[in-house]
Amino acid sequence: MGRYTIRRLLQLIPVLLGTTFLINYMVWQLPGDPFAGRCGQRPCPDSYVSAMRSQFGLDQPILVQYWQFLKNMLTGNLGVDFNQVPVATQLGDAWPITIRLALLAVAIEAVIGISAGVLSGLKRGGFIDNVVTISTLFLLSLPVFVTGFLLQWLLGVQFQVITPTVSDEAPIMELIVPAFVLASLNMAFTARLTRTSIVENRRSDYVRTAIAKGLTNRRVVGVHLLRNSLIPVLTFLGTEVGSLMSGAIITEGIFNIHGIGGLLYRAITGQDYTIVVPIASLLVLVYLVSNLLVDLLYGVLDPRIRYE
Amino acid sequence: MRVTKGAKIAAGSALLALGVAACGGGSGSSSDGGNPRTATGTVYIRGCEPQTGFVPGNINETCGGTVNDFVYSKLVKYNPDTAAPELDQAASIDTTDNKVWTIKLKPGLKWSDGTPVTAKNYVDAWNYTAYSPNAQIGSSWFADVEGFDKVNKADPDGPDGPKQAPTPETDKLSGLEVVDDTTFKVTLNAPTAVFRTKLGYITFAPLPEAFFKDPKAFASNPVTNGPFKFVKWDHNSQIVVSANPDYAGAEKPKVKQIVYKMYKDDDAAYADLVSNNLDFTELIPPSALAGDKWKTDLGDRAIEGQQGVIQTVSFPLYDKEFGGNADFRKAISLAVDRKTITDKIFNKGRVPLDSWVSPIVEGYKAGSCGEWCTYDPTKAKDYLNKAKQEGYTPPKEFPIWYNGDSAHKEWVDAMANSINQALGADAGFTVVGRSMPTFDEFRSVITEHKIKGMFRTGWQMDYPHIEDFLNPLVKTGASSNDGLYSNKALDEKLHEADVATDQNQSVTLYQEAEAMLANDLPTIPLWSYGLQAGTSKWVTGVKVTPFGELDPLSISIKAAA
Repeated sequence: MGRYTIRRLLQLIPVLLGTTFLINYMVWQLPGDPFAGRCGQRPCPDSYVSAMRSQFGLDQPILVQYWQFLKNMLTGNLGVDFNQVPVATQLGDAWPITIRLALLAVAIEAVIGISAGVLSGLKRGGFIDNVVTISTLFLLSLPVFVTGFLLQWLLGVQFQVITPTVSDEAPIMELIVPAFVLASLNMAFTARLTRTSIVENRRSDYVRTAIAKGLTNRRVVGVHLLRNSLIPVLTFLGTEVGSLMSGAIITEGIFNIHGIGGLLYRAITGQDYTIVVPIASLLVLVYLVSNLLVDLLYGVLDPRIRYE
Repeated sequence: MRVTKGAKIAAGSALLALGVAACGGGSGSSSDGGNPRTATGTVYIRGCEPQTGFVPGNINETCGGTVNDFVYSKLVKYNPDTAAPELDQAASIDTTDNKVWTIKLKPGLKWSDGTPVTAKNYVDAWNYTAYSPNAQIGSSWFADVEGFDKVNKADPDGPDGPKQAPTPETDKLSGLEVVDDTTFKVTLNAPTAVFRTKLGYITFAPLPEAFFKDPKAFASNPVTNGPFKFVKWDHNSQIVVSANPDYAGAEKPKVKQIVYKMYKDDDAAYADLVSNNLDFTELIPPSALAGDKWKTDLGDRAIEGQQGVIQTVSFPLYDKEFGGNADFRKAISLAVDRKTITDKIFNKGRVPLDSWVSPIVEGYKAGSCGEWCTYDPTKAKDYLNKAKQEGYTPPKEFPIWYNGDSAHKEWVDAMANSINQALGADAGFTVVGRSMPTFDEFRSVITEHKIKGMFRTGWQMDYPHIEDFLNPLVKTGASSNDGLYSNKALDEKLHEADVATDQNQSVTLYQEAEAMLANDLPTIPLWSYGLQAGTSKWVTGVKVTPFGELDPLSISIKAAA
């Protein structure tokens, strides 16, 4: 297990180098000058454009820029963005909020999705199964912004049980509704995935053996069935954490949450690579690490999987 | 099989998920009749993250412009109702020839750090902005002042070229002279009648001594001279300004504090406004404008008005294929049904324009575009034929370009349809809407003069005067003359108007110049922007300036809700 982890961690290095280079390269290739739109209908003064370009090294060749970027990343010096605001503090402000939102969403997804899936899988064709199938179909067919606006309007504007937007500090209580919106789609996926897996495994030999041995139902389902059925669900949730960390641009926009999604959106539209590149690189890292964790969890869930 | 009780509860919550989540939210605004704003004296208004800090000479976008206008007073301010320039920090602005201006400050003006506002503060600030190595966005605003070419050197081959811009000979504009503590003299290169009006623009604000010690730190923690002073700036979330107790203006702030709350999404701000969590927004989202929903939502909290922003479409006159000739451009303009488009797409939130100047500014004359800006399909066809006889063949497909990152698609498509229908199937070409992904890319292609087709251009006034709609836009070689229009007679007329010593005569000359545009139609006027804003039920007296910003002195908290 230890050696496997180390090997996987070492593998991260070339992957990170490759992806960050690609990100840098692609951002560099974007059409349009990031300083062309900054002065609106008026062209920016030459002196301003030159000063900005040299400040951010845009007048250097791509490889030199990439080298600078690597150096800055490794020394933890992210510099300032095009608005002359330190990038590190902006990330530091936004990331905790996004992490809170993402974890809350994954938790909602896991709890509601898995329980609904288990219940409907155990009583296939039963009443609950049908209800879950229909309600997940309903959730799957609703785009996030519909759910978001609907809940915001209903709970925030009509009934006034919540404030329509989240305050700057983004406490957990205020994040519940946005997290639910964010989770709604994948909750349905999780429920269906769990259900299929449960249905399949219920017919497997080891479950029959367990029942034949005279184990209690609770033990059969809780220990034998669930543990084996959760592997695909876990993979799904693992990658989900990664994608939610990138910020939910739409949900964050609707509820005005000052997280990574909004920061990234503003940076992309403003072609501010000083923010886009570090965020994208960190996201790559988040993905890689969460994948690694999921792989390691497999070993815990399924004794047949052993890493050497 | 038995189903456990716990699982039952969990499944129940899946089914009733919507309802369950509803219970978990935070508390809403209080509804006990009291006004929650009274206790703190704080109001919350919609904002957005400024691109640059609090250095007036380095600002030219609305997010920063709005909040900077709260904290900086200039020599002149614009009346929030009529847009007319009025003296603010200046006690007098005198000139006999529109070339040499003597500006006297009111006595007893103070910065928020207690130091007096002096003539030197103005001169130093203007010199700093104009000096090209300081790379300030607003530098070109001082091009009229004598000695500008000595302090501001252009890069000989542009920012793309390998050459560096030379260092200017001096960092002081020779046209600025401090007479005494409260008086300074400005000498311009040539008489400029509109100079007094210009002085209310943010770039002409002064800067205190503190700025020059550490410009970088100052930008995020400024010392200011306006009705409000800076308190704090949480990037991407809020800027807080509080009433300046030393503010010398006649009208004092009526609230203790304004929180400039940043929203990424207009819909979110609007939802907060409707539920009274936000006290002011000047951006009502399209979803609320549709069917005048916002008026039912807000009732007497809705504010309607006009602002000095116009929408036009320009032609690349440097391009043989897409530049067309005057009659072709007239045909296009005649074929645009402005009224239907503004009615249907903007719900009358924009007003059809028949001139090149916003209706709310000094010097506006109705009907300068006149017959060419009136929808007339028959005449449009006639002029198309005329254009063809004169030897212009439009390409099979004629695009109207726009930037896809804001809401332009609807009206561009409607305009294209209007033109296609009016000119008929036998026109020999079709007009189509085409988008570029971002505003940056769009502007890059335009400024490199590589655009193939008509393109959307808009103009937001810098100061309320007809001059601001002509000189920067249609003069040969002007900074925002995107279509490279050039007309000698027009240039001469504009120059005549610039240097006229009599204000009224100057305006008349500008109007004559504007009338000349009707011969060539280098750009097609479409409509001017209305203003839709809203307030919460906690505030009252709110006025919106012709620049589409909140007048910070007008907002006050209601005594009882």
